Amino acid sequence: MVAAIETRDLRKRYGDVRALDGVSLTVPEGSFFGLLGPNGAGKTTFINVLVGLVERTGGDAAVFGHDVERDYRQARDCIGLAPQEFNVDRFFPIREVLEHKAGYHGIPADEARERADEVLKQVGIYGKRDTRFDWLSGGMKRRFLLARALITDPDLLVLDEPTAGVDVQLRHDLWDLITDLNEAGTTILLTTHYIEEAERLCDEVAILDSGRVVEVASPDELMDRGTDTITVTFRDPPSSVPDVAAGNGHVESVDLDDGRLVVTARQGGLLAPDLVRELDRGGHEIVDLDVSRTSLEEVFVEMTNGQESTGGSR
Amino acid sequence: MSVLPVGFKTLTRREILRFLRRPKNTFVPPLVTNVLYFSVFGVILGQRINEINGVPYVLFILPGLVVLGAISNAFENASFSIFHGRWNEYIDEALTSPLSYTQMALAYVVAGATRGLFVGVLIAIVGAAFTSVGAARPLYLVAFGLVVTLLFSGIGIVGGLWADDWDDLTMMNQFIVRPLVFFGGVFYSIAELPATLRAVSLLNPMVYMVNGVRYGFVGQAEVDPHLSLLVLSGLTVAVVALDVALFRRGYGLTE
Ligand SMILES: Nc1ncnc2c1ncn2[C@@H]1O[C@H](COP(=O)(O)OP(=O)(O)O)[C@@H](O)[C@H]1O
Ligand SMILES: [Mg+2]
Repeated sequence: MVAAIETRDLRKRYGDVRALDGVSLTVPEGSFFGLLGPNGAGKTTFINVLVGLVERTGGDAAVFGHDVERDYRQARDCIGLAPQEFNVDRFFPIREVLEHKAGYHGIPADEARERADEVLKQVGIYGKRDTRFDWLSGGMKRRFLLARALITDPDLLVLDEPTAGVDVQLRHDLWDLITDLNEAGTTILLTTHYIEEAERLCDEVAILDSGRVVEVASPDELMDRGTDTITVTFRDPPSSVPDVAAGNGHVESVDLDDGRLVVTARQGGLLAPDLVRELDRGGHEIVDLDVSRTSLEEVFVEMTNGQESTGGSR
Repeated sequence: MSVLPVGFKTLTRREILRFLRRPKNTFVPPLVTNVLYFSVFGVILGQRINEINGVPYVLFILPGLVVLGAISNAFENASFSIFHGRWNEYIDEALTSPLSYTQMALAYVVAGATRGLFVGVLIAIVGAAFTSVGAARPLYLVAFGLVVTLLFSGIGIVGGLWADDWDDLTMMNQFIVRPLVFFGGVFYSIAELPATLRAVSLLNPMVYMVNGVRYGFVGQAEVDPHLSLLVLSGLTVAVVALDVALFRRGYGLTE
């Protein structure tokens, strides 16, 4: 099966800045793929190479097997893009803007009109159909960008920071909508710097930093690499740190904090039962146990900072 | 119509609707200006100016005013629309679609030329209120009308892609279109110029455009209309080819 997106050693320079510094990524068809990275990592540049707004300086990029330059028309026809910045026609009411976009993709006028109404309803701004984009509220503008991306019924939906600066309601609406689309078969590429979003939605994430891919993994795999914290509260606080043999090798630290035992370890969830059994056998009566998983955010910060501090990114 | 691709038709239609829906910006200014031109130059001054080659002065300047309005509107439409779309980045809507580069460029060329033709017709109608005017050579009139508006729409695209800010657009109008017009034989007959100025005038493409259109209206011209048509057509093809090449290269459009 051909990948939705396949890039090999993709490069883009702006003068001295290497916005993309050899990006090789495969986004499988039907996946929900996250592109994570701090500001300036190159996420938008990556997307813009796919749709033809940025000209690559090296490497290959193909969408469903169509090279983004040689077969630009086929490649672009597969993609629906909700960009980070507002770039909407200001001369026409939003319904007409949608009809035009559909027309550019070869959808005949009657069908374009039907689809425009459909997607406006889908994102919940049908009531505003005769308004121009400038007069929409911030949240509605975001909704409109999604509608415009959906009007062509794309095989690959690309969302560049779709929830930046939107309220909780809209964020959840959006999550539901794109989850449904993905379940119906649409491949989704989502860039975000909200880690929680990626954690919730994505099957697979790539972490980008300074134009390079630092890691590609599932959110769970990534979190397994982070350290979890297990906090045990005893009926009678021990005076010294009990011996802990469980989870040998996974444990990173064992401390007493205000009478509670604090263990940090990789894959803490797996270690917890052994730890409890061991402490119980040692005669400690446990009244409370808390396992707090590392957040993807922490893993992410560790990975991207690590890159910077070693200076390995340039 | 249905032989044309939907994408091309849609972009062309969008571009034409854009100016049709804002008549205050697109049709009222040339209407007002030309009523003034015809009143002042044609009627008030015209009574003191002799007929030129047997043509009353007001009728003599009519083709020039039509050309002036047509080409400056064709130029302005193409350059403004492209630049405005770049400035607000909504030109991305077309750029990220499966339109071919040729279709994109042609859609803008055709829409700009359409506006030029509309304005040209409008000016001819205004002129008809001041003097009796017909089309002595209708086919030539149509041919020259098409070719000059296509040419200047094509040039407008280059301008719209090249401009970095709004001042650049104003500047192009001031320094490219205006001088061509005033030395292009709109208001006087080039036969009346001293020999050197006359020779220089013949390098001005505007002279050929005005004379071609004048041939269409009154049936006489100071330069050979066939040569004019040939040269102007050649220029138009070259400029439109340049437009397509610039779109393909992403000049002013991609990073
Ligand atoms: N048009 C441009 N000219 C110069 N540098 C640019 C341009 N666009 C982006 N960059 C630079 O490229 C890098 C990547 O930017 P971008 O792709 O927008 O990152 P992200 O979307 O991950 O925040 C940044 O260093 C940014 O400053
Ligand atoms: Mg970005």
